[in-house]
Amino acid sequence: MKILVTCKRVPDTDQKIHVKEDGGGIDDSNLAYVLNPFDAIAVEEALRIREEYQTNDEIQIVAVGVGVADYESELRTALAMGADRAILVESTAIMDPWTVANTIAAVVARESPDLVLMGKQAVDDDANQTGQFLAALLQWPQATFASNIRFGGLGLQVARETDQGIEEIEVPLPAVVTADLRLNEPRYASLPSILKARKKEIEIIAHADLQVDADPKLEVLSMKSEISQRSCVMLDNVNSLIEIIRP
Amino acid sequence: MVKLLSQIAGIDKTVTREILGNVDPISRTVFYVLTVFALCSFVHGLWSRWVLWKQGRRSDASPCSLPLGVIVSRVVGRILLQRRVRRQRKAAGRAHVLLFAGFGILFIGTILIAIEHYSAAAIGRSPLDPIFHKGLYFVIYEFVLDTAGLALLAGCLWFFNRRFKSDSSMAHVRSDYVVLGLLVSLVITGYVAEGLRITLEDTPLPGFSYVGLLFAWPLQWWGVTSENAAPIHLTLWWLHVVLALGLIALFPHTRLLHSLAGAINLACSEQTLGVMQPISIEQVEETGLVGAEKFTDFTRWQLLSLDACVSCGRCEELCPADQAGKVLSPRDVVQGLRCVMELGNVPLNNGISNDAAWACTTCHACVETCPLGVDPLEFITDVRRNLVAEGKLKGPPGQALQKMQRSGNPWGLPADERLTWSEGLDVPLVNDVEDFEIVYWVGCAAAYDRRIQKVARAVVQLLQAAKVKFVVLGPEERCTGESARRMGDEFLFQELAANNISTFSKYPIKKIVTHCPHCLNSFKHDYPQFYEEFGGGDDFHFEAVHHTQFLSELLAAGRLAIPENAQGGNAVAALLTYHDPCYLARVNGITESPRELIQLTLPEESVVELSRCGENTACCGAGGGRMWFDDEAVERTGSGRVDEVIESAAKTLAVACPFCLTMMNDGLAAREAAVEVRDVAELLLEALGTAS
Repeated sequence: MKILVTCKRVPDTDQKIHVKEDGGGIDDSNLAYVLNPFDAIAVEEALRIREEYQTNDEIQIVAVGVGVADYESELRTALAMGADRAILVESTAIMDPWTVANTIAAVVARESPDLVLMGKQAVDDDANQTGQFLAALLQWPQATFASNIRFGGLGLQVARETDQGIEEIEVPLPAVVTADLRLNEPRYASLPSILKARKKEIEIIAHADLQVDADPKLEVLSMKSEISQRSCVMLDNVNSLIEIIRP
Repeated sequence: MVKLLSQIAGIDKTVTREILGNVDPISRTVFYVLTVFALCSFVHGLWSRWVLWKQGRRSDASPCSLPLGVIVSRVVGRILLQRRVRRQRKAAGRAHVLLFAGFGILFIGTILIAIEHYSAAAIGRSPLDPIFHKGLYFVIYEFVLDTAGLALLAGCLWFFNRRFKSDSSMAHVRSDYVVLGLLVSLVITGYVAEGLRITLEDTPLPGFSYVGLLFAWPLQWWGVTSENAAPIHLTLWWLHVVLALGLIALFPHTRLLHSLAGAINLACSEQTLGVMQPISIEQVEETGLVGAEKFTDFTRWQLLSLDACVSCGRCEELCPADQAGKVLSPRDVVQGLRCVMELGNVPLNNGISNDAAWACTTCHACVETCPLGVDPLEFITDVRRNLVAEGKLKGPPGQALQKMQRSGNPWGLPADERLTWSEGLDVPLVNDVEDFEIVYWVGCAAAYDRRIQKVARAVVQLLQAAKVKFVVLGPEERCTGESARRMGDEFLFQELAANNISTFSKYPIKKIVTHCPHCLNSFKHDYPQFYEEFGGGDDFHFEAVHHTQFLSELLAAGRLAIPENAQGGNAVAALLTYHDPCYLARVNGITESPRELIQLTLPEESVVELSRCGENTACCGAGGGRMWFDDEAVERTGSGRVDEVIESAAKTLAVACPFCLTMMNDGLAAREAAVEVRDVAELLLEALGTAS
């Protein structure tokens, strides 16, 4: 069995993000990057599945990134967590969810995995589209916002977190499943595991070689910082609070 | 007394008794053969333990390199005077001293008899003409050994009684009864045989063998005389010999093994509270191993110490995690690992579960109390190191480590916000001042946590009031890495330490005042291990003190003065109590400085001590990285400590550690207790009356 997990590189969630003065994107100088936290959950889930279900039939976990050469460090994180190998589709082009989904579909065609695990969204643009696009392109069933995954029934039994509550569904394999926050707690990749992962292979494919025929359907016109209207005041006692909230 | 001494002075120089008298040549031969068998069993038993220990890793720091003086003082204090045994559980401690002394003296006595007997035989002296076993020596020998027997008997009976009465917490096994039974019957048969021998041989001066004489009288009353005593004496002698040889043969297979393994461990083990053994990345690349995955990854000394454990459970009694109902008991860790060592081929988590390893707050209570010098904590941190390296750490604590690595603090906040706490206080940065007395090491908690920030502000105002030329490192300060190291992430710690040491070496730093006891311990015990490696230079050295220590230094030097009326400020001052932080009190022995400061702020009668105080303090639950595990406040390891504070009826809880402040605050709030938690520095500033 083979599980393909997507890994996106996003700005460190602990950092303060500043929009460039000209509105043409975010200021990425001195910006630290991390593996998208939802993708880390997807990697962790693949590892959990391997730990729980691996019998004689080996479960192989392949991490996939699409983007610039620097993506390697986030793929290394996935390898340090325990993925077996990684593929980087290298491209300097600005991509939208549609082009990324098409690119991953091309990787899926090469790798023919039984399951694609993805974060439900990336915390940089919060688009929440790539998984759905990918399922449509592959004509595979999809289970988005998963908070629990088990093998059984038609193939996979997935609990989905919806606004109405937890929805239990079954999907046959192969399928695309996207991870929600409560699916698991990703493991911490420490320095020794990163060192060990140095021996693992990262295959680099030029984006052009995949011959993906898809143009972005989305264009970012401008960006601006939201100016917070709230202010914070430390009060000494309850009386001064009453003074403020009294109409 | 005078009479006794004159009697001793007048003792006939040839007075003695025949060794192995009334024992026929065949019996003697059988006895010698049996002795050889018993000794073989003894040696074989020890050898098989040695084979187990030998499977361990060779340690880098050989305990054999300890100076002879240290070893001698340990042998005297820890072993002969039984200091560690007597500290906790006074009654059991005394019983052990009796047993130990009795056993030890009888053992030495038996060796002396053997030396006498064999050397006399070797040079062909008659049985009634011994080399030294005669005269005054003989008399003292008889008296001392008879008394030693009584001590051994008393100790054994006390332990028997304790085992019959006690609950399951004693964790005794059947062989314990065998050992105690053997010892008791050995002493009794010894006395009876002595009584019979006195009757049989009419031994001179029998009053010195007073217990034997006590046994002789009823025997004589029953009709035993010197004419008919011989066969009975021989029977009793045989019984005594079989029991003694049985004890020797069983020795390494019972808990008695602790007396050897424990003695070696107490005399030689490297044990300074708060110190951890470093590992290098070269080592890891060479062996592919971090921490302990199998029992053979522990050092030989650690494996030996497993055999020192008698499962007395003193560690468990003090363990805050065990008290809070967590899955951890240091005794179970050590005994569990001992089972793993004996079974050989089983995974380590059969002895210590992952949850148990993570439950430890590294408070050092178990390490400090163990009468045999076993260090359960080192096993735990070795296991943690492996769990971290193997990616078995998940959730909030893993995230805290990630944030320490990325942002240099466990909250992941930007370094350029490290000074926001000091707004409006005119706190000088290190690169703005040429000449300074101390560096105030703020630490992450005081830099970023809103409540702890107030404590840092109090400290700074006190420093300013005392006109201390201090600086802070501001954005150059990084997490010390203390909790990362104790969580088992050795290499993250080393990364942070390297960064801080290179920062220190840029400035002429003589003294660092740390805000947090954990940073203090790290500077005292962790950092010096890496000065050389991380480029601190040859003469790189700085003194690290805690803020309560430095404040009390300032008061002693008269640089800071508390107004006379400070104590009377509150006419009826509400009760205050002080919670000692583990890493300040137990690990680094600093208990007086904070108390001195508190006494300046309050009348004496307003201060109550908690039942566990000073070096015997109980953990708040945040050490060893537990701060970053998101337990519910009531489930935290320190919940018992919170109860203790509530029971003390104190209205103010003074603390000296940011972790303790947070934990106690949360715990008290969860119980809706109206107790205010304040740092000692805040109390002092208030007494100074210049709070702003």
